[in-house]
Amino acid sequence: MAAEPTGLLQPRPTVLPPRPGPGGLSIVVTTVVSDSHTWNLVFLQLALEELGHQVRNLGPCVPAAEVIAQCLRSRPDLLVVSTVNGHGMRDGTQLIGLIRKCPELADLPVVIGGKLGIAGPAGLASSARLRSAGFDAVYEDGAGAAALRSLPVLVRAGRQL
Amino acid sequence: MTVAISTRSFGDVVADAHRAGRLVVQPRMGMSSPVAMRQGLLATRGAAATTVGTITLDSYTRIGASAEAAEAVALGMELNGYPLVAHDLATTASVLAGVLSEDFPVQIRHGSPCPEPIVAALIAAGLHATEGGPVSYCLPYSRLPLETATANWARSCDLLAGVRATGVEPHLESFGGCMLGQLCPPGLLVALSVLECLFFGQHGVRSVSLSYAQQTNAEQDREAVAALRRLAGELLPDADWHIVLYAYMGVYPRTVAGADGLLSQAARLAVRTGAARLIVKTPAEAYRIPSIAENVAALELAAAAADSELLASQPGLPADTGIYAEARALIDAVRNLDADLGRALIKAFRHGYLDVPYCLHPDNAGRSRSYLDRSGWLHWSRTGSMPIAETLRPVSRVELTAAGLLDALSFVERRFDEAGRTELPLPPGAPPDALEEPKETWRSTPMSQLSVVPTTESATPPGTRQHLASPTTAAVLTIQSRMLAAARTFLSQHGFTEVLLPIVGPVTDPGARGAKQVDIDYYGHRYKLMTSAILYKQASLTMFDKIYCIAPNVRLEPLDTTVTSRHLAEFHQIDVEMAGASRDQAMRLIEDLLGYLVGKVLAELPAEFERLGRDVAALGELTAGPFGRRSHSDAVTTLRELGHPQNPDAEIDWAGEAKLSGLESRPFFLTDYPKGSRGFYDREDPHRPGYLRNFDLIAAEGYGELCSGSEREHDYAAIIARMRETGENPAKYGWYLDMVRDGIPASAGFGIGVERLTRYVAGLDSVWQASAFPKVPGVVSP
Repeated sequence: MAAEPTGLLQPRPTVLPPRPGPGGLSIVVTTVVSDSHTWNLVFLQLALEELGHQVRNLGPCVPAAEVIAQCLRSRPDLLVVSTVNGHGMRDGTQLIGLIRKCPELADLPVVIGGKLGIAGPAGLASSARLRSAGFDAVYEDGAGAAALRSLPVLVRAGRQL
Repeated sequence: MTVAISTRSFGDVVADAHRAGRLVVQPRMGMSSPVAMRQGLLATRGAAATTVGTITLDSYTRIGASAEAAEAVALGMELNGYPLVAHDLATTASVLAGVLSEDFPVQIRHGSPCPEPIVAALIAAGLHATEGGPVSYCLPYSRLPLETATANWARSCDLLAGVRATGVEPHLESFGGCMLGQLCPPGLLVALSVLECLFFGQHGVRSVSLSYAQQTNAEQDREAVAALRRLAGELLPDADWHIVLYAYMGVYPRTVAGADGLLSQAARLAVRTGAARLIVKTPAEAYRIPSIAENVAALELAAAAADSELLASQPGLPADTGIYAEARALIDAVRNLDADLGRALIKAFRHGYLDVPYCLHPDNAGRSRSYLDRSGWLHWSRTGSMPIAETLRPVSRVELTAAGLLDALSFVERRFDEAGRTELPLPPGAPPDALEEPKETWRSTPMSQLSVVPTTESATPPGTRQHLASPTTAAVLTIQSRMLAAARTFLSQHGFTEVLLPIVGPVTDPGARGAKQVDIDYYGHRYKLMTSAILYKQASLTMFDKIYCIAPNVRLEPLDTTVTSRHLAEFHQIDVEMAGASRDQAMRLIEDLLGYLVGKVLAELPAEFERLGRDVAALGELTAGPFGRRSHSDAVTTLRELGHPQNPDAEIDWAGEAKLSGLESRPFFLTDYPKGSRGFYDREDPHRPGYLRNFDLIAAEGYGELCSGSEREHDYAAIIARMRETGENPAKYGWYLDMVRDGIPASAGFGIGVERLTRYVAGLDSVWQASAFPKVPGVVSP
């Protein structure tokens, strides 16, 4: 079978789903290379689709090269990285470094969220480190639905910069 | 090179225990540090339970990135498991030496779809038991093609089977009974467990275990495990096999009572269904990787639940709702595809004969769906191409929503947390409606009416007799007493020793902001009443690693605190100190401790809360997991945005604290105070000079600070320097500095204000209501 990841909630069409509706974004949802959890990804896909966005879900354990290839191919409005295995600091920093090195993706809005350290909420210092590494926003575990609703604002703000 | 450690076969050890009527319990434990891993194994072996050991590997090793794991080890980063392949053989040998015995084998648990290096490493280390499977470790956790994973697992089985030549029978457990942990109907779980064990058998592994993960309905689980046993008996006649049960693998309850209830149910299920082994989970799973002590507590809880179930009358056979037939149909369909089970499995997924609901792997057809009915019974709503029928006709065009998914995923969490809150035995005493309504006008108002800035009417206590006679006071102090008892229970269960510390001494904590110390004449010497026990707490760590005390403190607070509703000149603290701990560990302990205390009183004292008009639902938030963290500078910014003139170099003033607290519905930690704002014992952040590794816990809803803590300075020179910076004369601290010079441990600790905590929990207008004989600053009091 092709390496192209498929979605989960219906027999996935081989072409991309229709463009998002008005105000909707085209979003790639992914996790980091060492993270095998998927319920967070399933949930995010559903929640973002319900907010009118179009979602391409890359599934678990995605190598950085695969994330970059998918972003170059589908040119999303936003990349959402969700990770809950506690390696988010390390893997997330590496991932964003590689993304930002890619000229086409230097301005892509990228956010990360989840359980980012193995010791519970990592605190502001870790968030700041991830932001300075290149993420546009960092959401700790428990950020809630408001964080998802704020994503279009973040993307629009990025465009105006 | 092989390490010459020989133990009996894992399968034999488990079978012997099973024959002797003992359930083998096993943790899901993995630490990146070899020292901690060894301690964890020894603690597992020493638990009051029949145990086998576990080394769970980290997720870099799992995906075959052991170079990454090695790099992380070299950098001193903590991984989420033991990096077996990255560590050299001598390191692993030192972990296992003296741990393994005839009755205590160790199993390697990982989750790898490419396990050859892991199997090679475990064999080299003298081990011979592991788990996984070509499907169960590929589809849910990786993006490796199923074909590749199957080939990898075939080679790994061959490798493992080779151990037999050394005289010990290798053991392999199928993880097929888990499959994403949630929302996979039992028929498919049972089928996958059996199919993977058949696959192991085709590759020469003769001792296997079939797994099943506890799902959402105990009766359905009982039927499922019965079906699994029956199928194993029919299809694995030549293998040595047993059944291993996994305590619930999905979203875990967040209350201790809820988590314990779920684990106890798993243990009972294991006994009732004749499972030989149980993999436990801990209450900490909901938040983070559990500690050794938490793992041991879970093992012992499960063992105790299993023992009591053995004595209980055994229920009859479970009803047959068709799980056996469904699993059998799936297994037969797969076996008919190809004589080679590896090829059969690949074809089965390609055709959608096996189709795991909600699995994102590209090789999974993704046409099946499941749902929970109200009793937690798992059903198919769509079966795609699987050779089985939906138990209910799917409603067409209904897509699962995100909220619906969360509801289903949190079904067990909610049910057990609710049960944990309400089903604890109530204390003996009058039912709530038999209690007399309080008549006092100063009865506390319900939470919803409480304003952020407290009113002055509540600032003054009534007369002593009236206060002591008030049913409100009695209810409040009952809650307080129960919390103190629970704190002692919790802390002693977590290895803390209660030490009774002095209340007078030559010096005391100088860090109490703005408060005056009380001098007393001590045989002609000017001594102090303790403003806090900090100096004695640090010194006590030369005796015990973890200590606590519940002690009175006296601080003559400035008169302007009379109206804050949250200052008392005499108050008590639950004072805790831990050698070698980090600030994070201290904060996590507070989360767990408060969650436990509040969970206890909510469950045990409903009448008192009703009497006080406390909104217990709001309070329940306190038990719902970790608190937020924000830095002092962040809080200063927020306050200034709100127009509050907070000094950025000082502690947050009480009005600012009340403002911040009023913005929140849950308590939160304020961290990283600037250096000038605190005493010399709060450790300066080595990476961020000028800021302290400290924190305050701020209650929600305007109640303000509940607790302060920090990592401590323990280095003599650093302490002297910090004393000078804070204007303290080191010469006054003779006994303390003598201790420090000869060495005291690094530590972290905190003090929780008992009266403030009581005020918050009981929902009181003013902190004096939480004291029998309150000393409001500036008010002449008994």
